[in-house]
Amino acid sequence: MDISDEELLARFPGYPLDHDTAARYRGWLDHVMLVDRCSACGIWHEPPGPICPACWSTDIVPTRVEGTGTIHLAIFLHQGPPVEGIDYSTPYPVVVVELDEQPNLRMSSTVVGAANEDIVIGTRVRLDWIERRGAPMPVFRLDEVARSAPVSS
Amino acid sequence: MTVSARNPAKDRVAIAAAATTGFTASNTNRSQLSYAAEACVAALRAAGLTAADVDGVIGSSTPSAPDLQQALGIPAVTYFANPPIPFVNQLAAAVGAVHSGLCNVALVYHASYRLPWNTGSAWKDPFRRGGMAGGAGAAIPESVYGSPGYTAWASRYLYEFGGSREDFGLVAINDRSNAMRNPAAAMREPLTMDDYLAARMIRSPLCMLDMDIAVDGGDAFVVTTTERARDMPLQPVLINAVTLGMTGTPSESQTPSLREHGQQVVVESLRSRGDFWIDECDVYFPYDGFSIITLNWIENAGWCGPGEAGDFLRTHWDTATNRVLINGRVPINPHGGSLSEGASQGSGHLREAVHQLQGVAGERQVVGAKRAIVTAGGFFFNAQGATLRIDD
Repeated sequence: MDISDEELLARFPGYPLDHDTAARYRGWLDHVMLVDRCSACGIWHEPPGPICPACWSTDIVPTRVEGTGTIHLAIFLHQGPPVEGIDYSTPYPVVVVELDEQPNLRMSSTVVGAANEDIVIGTRVRLDWIERRGAPMPVFRLDEVARSAPVSS
Repeated sequence: MTVSARNPAKDRVAIAAAATTGFTASNTNRSQLSYAAEACVAALRAAGLTAADVDGVIGSSTPSAPDLQQALGIPAVTYFANPPIPFVNQLAAAVGAVHSGLCNVALVYHASYRLPWNTGSAWKDPFRRGGMAGGAGAAIPESVYGSPGYTAWASRYLYEFGGSREDFGLVAINDRSNAMRNPAAAMREPLTMDDYLAARMIRSPLCMLDMDIAVDGGDAFVVTTTERARDMPLQPVLINAVTLGMTGTPSESQTPSLREHGQQVVVESLRSRGDFWIDECDVYFPYDGFSIITLNWIENAGWCGPGEAGDFLRTHWDTATNRVLINGRVPINPHGGSLSEGASQGSGHLREAVHQLQGVAGERQVVGAKRAIVTAGGFFFNAQGATLRIDD
């Protein structure tokens, strides 16, 4: 979304916004998940950064990912930072998802629309969006259709 | 991965003395500086030194080296630094500074302090609120930055190896049984597996007893050349090797696996740079800020294979003392570790290692201890270690 840096900061208070990460959050406003990819060697890298860790090219392009992947780590918060809409009385799931684009390329978020006992490592998920504090936030849903064996690591 | 074996400082720098204030798991009516100062004075007196003998000051973040220097009236220093925790980082800085000649006598300290980020009750003390650590990700629950990262990889540990929470519980019980013999420890009541399993869950799969206990207290060390330490009152503890270890993707979410993070680098570095490893180790200090870290250290150090640490602890469990004695002899964190002595971010492990090798560990003393291994820190950007010995 074409908004100023000042407006972007105002939409995402508390997030780690800087020159390397701003494109990601502009993408969120359009419900597009962008991950940095090197134009020279094609490697994806996370978190966003100014240089390709594989070939040192600075030709980095925030690039749309499919948003499909497999749960790699899964925890449940019985307490946590105060956020509107989360009371932790039902332990709040936090997952790290390995994206299909590249081994060890991972994103952290929560899983919505699922019982905690179904949120287990190895489960297939896909990206979805919710609203938090008036701005879009990426989350995952269990992918009931494409559920399959875990990606080997 | 190729790790250098070059170690010109080997055994040339020594810890001449170590001291602690002891630890308290409640908000004491004292400042963080007061703990650092008390521990430093005790360490200097044990080494037979005065403020004027110190020309290097190295500590963790609070108090800063200038504040500590001013508090103790140290007349002049030629080196000071405040590297981040865990505490082997401070030892590594001291070895580099002393061996290179940046300073000759380094006063090395760490003060643990209960702050709002590690215990909610610290909010009750208005003087502690100023120490609240913020950080850009602090208010975002969907992050595994910081402490949740260890819980996240604990989930992976259970998934990959099929262990149980009892494996984590053994780490907590071992620490507690050891702390019962340590007057400096904050938590000295007996702990059973039933207690562990009933403890409040914080971030599943880890509960309160998997996480170190926030304390007030301090440790301090005098680090100098081995040559000079030999003229001081206590047995010099020689720093055989010291290292930090980090891999190319050290962040919590992108760390490749439990088999590829900072700990493996540390182990390879200590084995390459030092003269001994676990077969000659008399007392072992794996970090335990979270119980999962200890299990992984035990595996990565080579005491057992990946995923086998729980069974290893059961195999070497001494039922009489309700703790681990490897091969009936080698204790693990005999001071009680971060889970029960208190969250010292590694300074307690190092201090107890020094006291064990100096033969001043009281009823915890390992008879004839000559070699200790300290593996501090976790997985990501904070794995560190040291091998320590005394003269044969």
